Amino acid sequence: MGQAEWVTVPISTRDVEGPIYLSRAEWDTIEAATARIIPTDHHPGAREARVVRFIDRMLAGTQFVFPAADGIGWLQMTGREEAAWAERIQTRRALYRNGIRELDQIANANFGGRFLDLDDDEQDRVLEKLSGQPKPEPFTFDAPEDDGRGGAPAGNQPVNEDFLSFFPLLVLNTRQGFYGDPVYGGNDNRIGWAVIGFDGPPTLRSTMDGSYTTLKYMIPEAQWPYERHPAVLRYRRP
Amino acid sequence: MKTKRNPEPVDVVIVGAGAGGATAAKVLSEAGLRVVGLERGPWLKPEHASGDELKYLNRNFIWQDPKLKPRTYRQNDAEDAVITNFSATPQVVGGGTTHWGGMVPRMTANDFRLRSLHGDVPGSSLVDWPISYDELEPYYTRVEWEFGTSGLAGANPWEGRRSRGYPTKPSPLSQIGRTFATAMDKLGHNSFPMPQGMVTEPYRGRQPFSENGFWQQYPDPGTGKSSVLISFIPDAVNTGLYDLRSDCYVHEILVGSDGRATGVRYEDEDGNEWVQKAKAVIVCGGGIETPRLLLMSKSEHFPDGLANSSGQVGKNATFHQYSFSVGLFDRDLHDPLYGWSGHYMSGCSFDFYETDATRGHILGSLIFPSNIGHPVNWSFPGRPGWGSAAKDADRELFNHTMKIGILLHDLPVESNRVDLDPTVKDAWGLPVARITHTPHSNDFAQEKWQVKKNGEILEAAGASKIVPVNMERITGNTSHELGTTRMGDNPATSVVDRWCRTHDVPNLYVFDASFFPTATGINPALTIMANAWRCADRIIQVDARGWTTD
Repeated sequence: MGQAEWVTVPISTRDVEGPIYLSRAEWDTIEAATARIIPTDHHPGAREARVVRFIDRMLAGTQFVFPAADGIGWLQMTGREEAAWAERIQTRRALYRNGIRELDQIANANFGGRFLDLDDDEQDRVLEKLSGQPKPEPFTFDAPEDDGRGGAPAGNQPVNEDFLSFFPLLVLNTRQGFYGDPVYGGNDNRIGWAVIGFDGPPTLRSTMDGSYTTLKYMIPEAQWPYERHPAVLRYRRP
Repeated sequence: MKTKRNPEPVDVVIVGAGAGGATAAKVLSEAGLRVVGLERGPWLKPEHASGDELKYLNRNFIWQDPKLKPRTYRQNDAEDAVITNFSATPQVVGGGTTHWGGMVPRMTANDFRLRSLHGDVPGSSLVDWPISYDELEPYYTRVEWEFGTSGLAGANPWEGRRSRGYPTKPSPLSQIGRTFATAMDKLGHNSFPMPQGMVTEPYRGRQPFSENGFWQQYPDPGTGKSSVLISFIPDAVNTGLYDLRSDCYVHEILVGSDGRATGVRYEDEDGNEWVQKAKAVIVCGGGIETPRLLLMSKSEHFPDGLANSSGQVGKNATFHQYSFSVGLFDRDLHDPLYGWSGHYMSGCSFDFYETDATRGHILGSLIFPSNIGHPVNWSFPGRPGWGSAAKDADRELFNHTMKIGILLHDLPVESNRVDLDPTVKDAWGLPVARITHTPHSNDFAQEKWQVKKNGEILEAAGASKIVPVNMERITGNTSHELGTTRMGDNPATSVVDRWCRTHDVPNLYVFDASFFPTATGINPALTIMANAWRCADRIIQVDARGWTTD
């Protein structure tokens, strides 16, 4: 059965609230780590977005790889594609399991406790040691380009996570859980999108039936040559 | 499975159902020929698509899984090739026209005669095309109208003569398009609406794109984005003469004792092997998979691979590396850019396309502005990776970033090539494509100059910081795979003739971008389709008349 014939199974990443793959202790540790990667401030962070649930479902198995197009239910993978994803998930499980152990080991060696029991600053020190890099400094327009950890945008190619080690994988997955569609289990109430000002679709279905549009953020009345059109000239600032 | 009977022989078997294969299927079946299409990927429909960033950009729903279909890459013959997802391109019905941004500019008249213009360029196998712009022009127009496009005739001062305008008006202007047009004007340059494979008005039963923002790398659940999946393939299927079999992987092109192609051997999704006989075979697997299939089709007559007496199969590969400058704007000084609105790119310019000797290099590229990604994959070099610094940067800059990109007009070099990896196999046990590639020095010079120029445009637009993203090597990040069965009049130096028929095998054709003798600095799909139409017409008018009816 080819990919076009994969059937939709009526399951949701929110069928249960808590872990379905991680142990409770692992869940709590990952939740604490994601909350340092995207912290809560005057806006919600990874904890409120339920990023840990996103990660748990990602590790749970091939049932939560591809949601149905409209976001209701998940595609039952088959064949070689399913086997490749099962192998990929196995690799990620081992990375997470070992990574959690390492977090606690570093915490214990430096602060005499589990990662979960440390305060925010101590947890940041553990993440610095895990990553081998200092915690990123605030961005400024005159900062040198190689100062941060974020790389160039992917251009026009799919992003490959297969070769990442635990810390960069955790950072990327945290970002995915915060900013990905809520159907994956994170980005609860679309709070990740609200934080950065992305007026995203209310449902995946709304991207299919034409009801979701970004036209109001565009200038559809402008005509070429655009630079002389009143609708464009309106944006001039003194 | 050996007891199963092979399918009925047909007139033409077409390997691949992307831009080239679907165009050929439409033209040939509408002319009354019986056609079988074999596509190794699934036949996903528009209703499988939606605006799901993780599914398409991170979990690669329509891109080949590198665990199953790896490729290998090395810079030169002295290196060992390593597994990479080089030039990932959707292997699905519709091919690259499913994920694409739908940029459909035409080649310029000079693109067809670069050897005449520039002479011998050391280290490059630069040639003229054996055809001219005027020969292709009627087919450009035909595809623009049959396929569904939008644009503004006359707005590109560098374009050749065109016999007709676009069927629908330019796509709506985005804030990024506004910023680009204004900055280009400030610098004294022309810019104009990007010609797009989209309909912007009701057109032949299709409705305009919803402008949901999920455009580049996303298949369209509606009918606004033009893809062969919703145009030429249904046209061909509706003739009743095009039998398109998806999830069918062609392993070999078969030849008879007379040296003519007799059909293909393929494996279906259940692992059954079949032979499809045909009077002619058209290969449209893309510029990497096509030479791979030719090289895998070794036989007594063709010990070096099929149609390879020139030794040119797989050589002269070009890949249009996409490089760009990113501009970061201060939110206190600038209105938001809302990069996620609309359809990725909105304007473009050809002002740097033609050679200008004062730049210190030859050739040039189309340039165009675009966003730097949806929320998950939005990034720029220097973005803080985690912690409050990362959250602040996302918050401050997500709506205040854009980039201006180039499609490198890379020079053909004979040693840059696709061949069979001697050790790495795909999930079916067949040798994978190995890419050997080092850019020509002119490629680096052109790319550096244009990326810097794009930074100057961003500066004119008021960006507070400009971050150039230059190539270190070719990664195939445009999915444009060109030149690997180059077209030419001389059988000693080219693989296919001016009708894209192989010099060696008179009933074997290549209609994908493998035929491009030089890369051009524009997206190739419109030219692939126009040329496939031109060459399919030739089959109908000339070649098919010589086919026996047994």
